[in-house]
Amino acid sequence: MLLREETYQQQSNFAHYCRTGEFLPIKGVDEKRIHYYPRLVFNVIDDTLRSAFPLTVDLFSEEEWETTTRRFFAKHRCSSYSVWKMPFEFYQYILSSESELLNKFPFLDELLLFEWTEIEIHMMEDKAFPEVSLTGDFENDVIAFNPEFKILQMKYPVHLKNPNKITETDEAAYFVLIFRQPETGNVQFIDVSSFFYWLILKILNEQKSFEELIQEAEQTFKVERSILLTNTIPFLMELQQNKFIIGFKK
Amino acid sequence: MIDERAANVGIGFRKEFAEEFLAGNVLSPAFVEVAPENWMGIGGYWKKILKRVAEKHEIYSHGLSLSLGGPDELDWEFLKNLKSFLKEYDIKIYSEHLSFAKCDNAHLYDLLPVPFRWDAVQHIAGRIKSVQDFLERKIAIEIVSYYTPVAAEMSEVDFINAVVKEADCNLLLDVNNIYVNGFNHNYDTKEFLQNLSLDPVAYIHMAGHEKVADDLIIDTHGEPIIQPVYDLFDYTVQILPEQVPVLLERDFNIPELTELQFEMNRLENICTKHWRNELVTA
Repeated sequence: MLLREETYQQQSNFAHYCRTGEFLPIKGVDEKRIHYYPRLVFNVIDDTLRSAFPLTVDLFSEEEWETTTRRFFAKHRCSSYSVWKMPFEFYQYILSSESELLNKFPFLDELLLFEWTEIEIHMMEDKAFPEVSLTGDFENDVIAFNPEFKILQMKYPVHLKNPNKITETDEAAYFVLIFRQPETGNVQFIDVSSFFYWLILKILNEQKSFEELIQEAEQTFKVERSILLTNTIPFLMELQQNKFIIGFKK
Repeated sequence: MIDERAANVGIGFRKEFAEEFLAGNVLSPAFVEVAPENWMGIGGYWKKILKRVAEKHEIYSHGLSLSLGGPDELDWEFLKNLKSFLKEYDIKIYSEHLSFAKCDNAHLYDLLPVPFRWDAVQHIAGRIKSVQDFLERKIAIEIVSYYTPVAAEMSEVDFINAVVKEADCNLLLDVNNIYVNGFNHNYDTKEFLQNLSLDPVAYIHMAGHEKVADDLIIDTHGEPIIQPVYDLFDYTVQILPEQVPVLLERDFNIPELTELQFEMNRLENICTKHWRNELVTA
């Protein structure tokens, strides 16, 4: 590096001041003006995080938000060159470094992940869609899913309930399907039961016929075939309407 | 005949006005500029939007995170992705800032002033050369606005001239930044421009700012361009050795598109006034 160690130190001290507000000596700066920098820099961080996590902002007190985001920026070294990806680092930071908040809000990790996943799915690179037939039969053909999706498995209903009203009594098994609509690019999420979660994973990972899946479901869930059929077909039709099911494999 | 390039006034593309821009013809820029960091490696809605923009307009690209003035290693993964992005959208002009945005492995997502020092000149020029070699093109570097010098050992203009000469790169002249810096650091902006090497200027940016104290302006890109900045632009256009593209930046407080077009028209009229005369007399 052609930079002198001393020049590097000036830049490092300046960057440190911008991130932490802690002033280390920097030669030749205007002391009346330098304080604008940490403010301007932090505005970008705060704006980006507020826009990424509106539900979390609402859950936290203003003081909690302010101190947590400032601690994050001071302690964590942001590695994403695209600022829109930085909120994922905030989520990771909370998981690794904010145990007090995680204890206070036992669903906080899931709330942050849910909010981040909406951004991730909205922005993710386009995936190749399989060639499908638009006409088919759920019972006899192999279903093809929209590949631009994620399913989250959660213990709290952060996708269903105002986070301020979630309590420990809400703890259960929740599943949420989050996907991007192919034409509009809009992100949609659907709450799914544990059976449908199981079914979606089975369809995704195993090339079994609908009949084979229903038989397996009867064994696994100890539910009558007629009940399974009554519930499954309308659910699959709903997924088709919402463009999560894009057709049937050729 | 007026050179077509005399009317080369573009707009900084913002998601806030994307739909309206594409749906109508209120705004008719000669080109559109995007920050690659906001548009690389994405899909879905915004990718579709960018493709639609690219079908109608030439795209320029203005980077934010390369941190040419920073002490950290260059991010080669980013540069690799950037090169693909420039190719994908057939982007002919890529510019970055003469500042640093990353230090000690931490991105700061803002443009911090570099120390005006000879070792920094060599360091930054070397990095610009590496980037130019990798991207197989000259890049333009922008003179940024700043609110305090940092560990300066030489004048700003000498520093900029030296970096551009050592790196053999182009210069992006942000006329608003020159105005802001002249005001904040109490120097004569015309004298600054006279002392600046203008041959490498390949591109101009214009924007608005906000005066936050009697002796301080912050470069917000959130207000219309003020008359003294238009005047400085008028002067700049007259002394530039070549016609170059001009960009209007508006990042916050986005007004009606008619207002942006009005500002672009003013810039275009100034260019045409001087560059037409130049062509006639030539």
